[in-house]
Amino acid sequence: MKTKSRCNPTRHIGTGMLRVDAADKVRGKTQYLNDRTYPGALHATVVRSPTARGILKSLTLDPAYDWKGVTVATAEDIPGENVMVMHDRSMPLMGAVGAELRYRGEPVAVVAAATAEKSMEAADHVRLDIEQRPALLTLAEAIALFKKSPKKLELLKTQNIEKGDIRRGFAEADEVLEAEYWAGHQEQLYLENQGLIVFPRKDGSIYVEGSIQCPYFPVNELNAALDLPPEKIRVKQTPIGGAFGGKEDYPSMLAGYAALPALKAKKPVKITYERHEDMLFTPKRHPVWVRFKTGFKKDGTLTAIECDYILDGGAYLTISDVVMYRGILHCALAYRCENVLIRGKVARTNSMPNGAFRGFGAPQAIWGLESHIDAIAEKVGKRPDAYRLQIHARPGDRTPTGQLLTEDNGSTHCLDLVLQRSDFAEKFKQASRGKLRKGQNKYYGIGLSFFAHGSAFTGDGEAKFKAKGRVELALLEDGRPGVNIRVSSTEMGQGVHTIFTQIAADGLSLTPERIRFPYADTGMAPNSGPTVASRTTMVVGNVVYRAAQDLRNQIEAFASRRYFKGAAARMRHSKLHAKGFRALPFLRVARDMREELGEVNGAFQFILPDTVQWDQSRFKGDSYPGYSWSANVAEVEIDPLTLELTVTRVFDVIDIGRVINPMTATGQVEGGLTQALGYAVMEKMGTGKNGLFDASRLQTYIVPTALDVPNYDVKFVEYPYPFAPPGAKGLGELPMDGLAPAIANAIETAIGVRLRSLPITPEDLFNAVIPPA
Amino acid sequence: MSPPMNFDLLNIRFPKTLDEAVAFQADERTRGRLLAGGTDLMVQWAAGAPPPQRLISIWGLPELSAIRVSKEMVEIGAGVTHAFLRDCTDIRAHVPALVAAAASVGATQIQARGTLGGNAANASPAGDTAPALLVTDGMVMLASAQRFRTVPLTAFWTGYRQTAAQPDEIIAAFLLPKKGRSVERFRKIGTRKAQAISKIMAASRIRLHGGTIESAAIALGSVAATPIRLGKVEAFLAGKKLSRRLVEEAEALAQASVAPIADIRSSAEYRRWTAGRLVRDALENLQ
Repeated sequence: MKTKSRCNPTRHIGTGMLRVDAADKVRGKTQYLNDRTYPGALHATVVRSPTARGILKSLTLDPAYDWKGVTVATAEDIPGENVMVMHDRSMPLMGAVGAELRYRGEPVAVVAAATAEKSMEAADHVRLDIEQRPALLTLAEAIALFKKSPKKLELLKTQNIEKGDIRRGFAEADEVLEAEYWAGHQEQLYLENQGLIVFPRKDGSIYVEGSIQCPYFPVNELNAALDLPPEKIRVKQTPIGGAFGGKEDYPSMLAGYAALPALKAKKPVKITYERHEDMLFTPKRHPVWVRFKTGFKKDGTLTAIECDYILDGGAYLTISDVVMYRGILHCALAYRCENVLIRGKVARTNSMPNGAFRGFGAPQAIWGLESHIDAIAEKVGKRPDAYRLQIHARPGDRTPTGQLLTEDNGSTHCLDLVLQRSDFAEKFKQASRGKLRKGQNKYYGIGLSFFAHGSAFTGDGEAKFKAKGRVELALLEDGRPGVNIRVSSTEMGQGVHTIFTQIAADGLSLTPERIRFPYADTGMAPNSGPTVASRTTMVVGNVVYRAAQDLRNQIEAFASRRYFKGAAARMRHSKLHAKGFRALPFLRVARDMREELGEVNGAFQFILPDTVQWDQSRFKGDSYPGYSWSANVAEVEIDPLTLELTVTRVFDVIDIGRVINPMTATGQVEGGLTQALGYAVMEKMGTGKNGLFDASRLQTYIVPTALDVPNYDVKFVEYPYPFAPPGAKGLGELPMDGLAPAIANAIETAIGVRLRSLPITPEDLFNAVIPPA
Repeated sequence: MSPPMNFDLLNIRFPKTLDEAVAFQADERTRGRLLAGGTDLMVQWAAGAPPPQRLISIWGLPELSAIRVSKEMVEIGAGVTHAFLRDCTDIRAHVPALVAAAASVGATQIQARGTLGGNAANASPAGDTAPALLVTDGMVMLASAQRFRTVPLTAFWTGYRQTAAQPDEIIAAFLLPKKGRSVERFRKIGTRKAQAISKIMAASRIRLHGGTIESAAIALGSVAATPIRLGKVEAFLAGKKLSRRLVEEAEALAQASVAPIADIRSSAEYRRWTAGRLVRDALENLQ
């Protein structure tokens, strides 16, 4: 059943309004960090550990080198604690002399000089004496150890999810199926590399600006290391050329690196990576090993889902605990099963700590589960579509943590519609299954995946965080009144400036031309939380809408008193109306209001209803404020001559609640699906014996080009989120979640072999189907 | 990390004619690294290779820009771009594999700058046009201050990134016999559909008469230190009746006669297997 939106009829929400940043971006007027000049700024280069593991015995400066004009900062120059707070305070900002270095590239010093060239040259003259220790470089090594003796594996975090009784579940099963699935690193590959600049101020405060996805993160992170109170750290985003999670946690480290020489030299210090350094030494998507063991009846009814989900955390935990939580919460989310046991782990390896990337652990979980569900369907002799229709979760069901799925979950609709649009049942009959059918000159296959994605922070994150936002009456650049949206959400290409302009316009009933969304700045905007977790439109969008309504109420009250002799005023379409009076334009009312009252703000703080409950210690309850749903169908062709693979068509039906802007939403889906296509069949990053990634340039790290992109068929179904008037649920991460297993399932129907490790390349198909010579 | 390339510091000369260019190259004191489209060199410098002391730009030299079609031959100037080859209808019927190879280079932008001479001089085993040049049994013309001389293409690539050109020589042109009644084929397996360096590619020029193979020239790229001709397979095929069995034997022979390496783009086993598959592809598409 489709629920009705509680929204009033609106003018801008739901329309494909042109992006507010489009004109400047296509004309090249937008100034990114490296388009700006910062006179007098020094440029910093990070000095890194040349070994994957060892004790730093000494760090000395080459006495023969001329160090004039060069500032070198090490752990000794850290004013506060040598710690990145993150989630467990285990990672130092800088490797210190005497300490253990845990990954190739771990920073031990920062060198700043007048030019980038000079700082790179000087960095080569910092001498490190390191006592080597044996290193564990990859997840493959870690899992081999785990299989031999689980206790030998060094774990940074563990968490289980339990529902029902797993032993009873297997006892009730007619059959049991067990399989393992792997996936490797994935690089975010934002167009604009990492970079920021730190300005030390005379009053002891610092100002940071740069390509930063979550401006409040460096504020929180640096206060321990720099021993500065949060109010003395101001962070502003410059226009961001893509982030995808890659600029969530990492800019905090980058700000730390730049701040040390900046404070020492008392000069602004800029740090920016070129592509090679960015690819080698910034966080990636976590490699995963996931083992599913499922029990089921002859008709396919699931009686038990047991799952081990192990992420490669890299050398330090950083934010891998929450990535793992999101992962395990998606390991058995989309299907009915009364007995579930999921064991999540973050393994430690001597590699660059992995971090945030669109999907945040969920794509790895869904990759395993959706491959496994197809394998079960085959075992019980059902088509993958019919089987999913039978067992998928729907309103009235409870998730593995016991959350009741309410009517705002459009799971069945997504599945039905994607099957219908792709003509799945009919095309499934034509799949080659390893033998060319009449009329086929390529192996043909079609595959399905189905999944949910929890919108916003995991667990009680949003309830605790209480995102804040303001909408302020202000003079715009033309000297006339308008409003500024003041939230800490960042525009990084995904379109939030446009979306929030639409939402504010409807909340106020004001033309979007009078609304601005200045770049996020911790000095100007309250903390509405990081721009992550598919939470921005749903959570912060709601804050903006309610703050806009608050401002509208204030404007109406003012107008009623000032012009309408107390008669009720109503703001509609940028005018103030009252019965028996001539309507007054917003511009006049706003000007008078500012003159009389000074600062005028609408404000709101996000709250969740008391009915939403989460118990973090038992990992039970409402694990997300809401769920978006999606079903993907992929069609593939495989050349029998060479085993080259082409993904020809992809269908995606998504329930993201109310669609605020169908044009930008479709763009976000197509872009995300393309990123997922790369994850599925191209993007491969190995680790060399030296601890460095082997694919660290655009030449060697293969992402899809325009010619590799299939035809997309994207369709939205709307089951609006009931607790937020705009009705939106999460979108950003969903297109990344489920395409890889849909493609793997399609490959299985094409050649009759299931591939269990991502990415799936022609070489892998060759190894799977061609017997060794 | 290597500092970014500073192009202001480049010492670069712009001769206006081939004579001027070979004069620079004749003298060790003025000799420089030749720069045509720059699509290989710029990438190498950006990846940290030390830039050369001196550069001599031969981009746009009129003597290197011509295509001439005579009764037996196609003569292509070394400065002709891949984009020009791709679009030039006059040569398509005579050297179709080369035209297809040019159209498979990088992407539109790289095709617009990259030249046939540059691709040959770079001498990468993965150079896309090399196998198509090899199967023509043509010649490369080298110019120096003293003379022009020709070298058979089959003797041009002498080792990994090495050619038969002397330090004072500039590649001037390629003299390629027309295919006549032969059938040509080119196929590249890249890492993706555009902007791809080859995992392997094959070109062939095979003449079939009344069901019998009169002659076969087959070349592969990315399976050895240089682009190579499959001499054994060619000899095996010559004079034989085309049959399903012959194709299978040729496929197996091709697989047995290459010794590719594994690198970041592909595995040795996949390359060995596809070497045979591409020979099969050539033989199955002769009509």
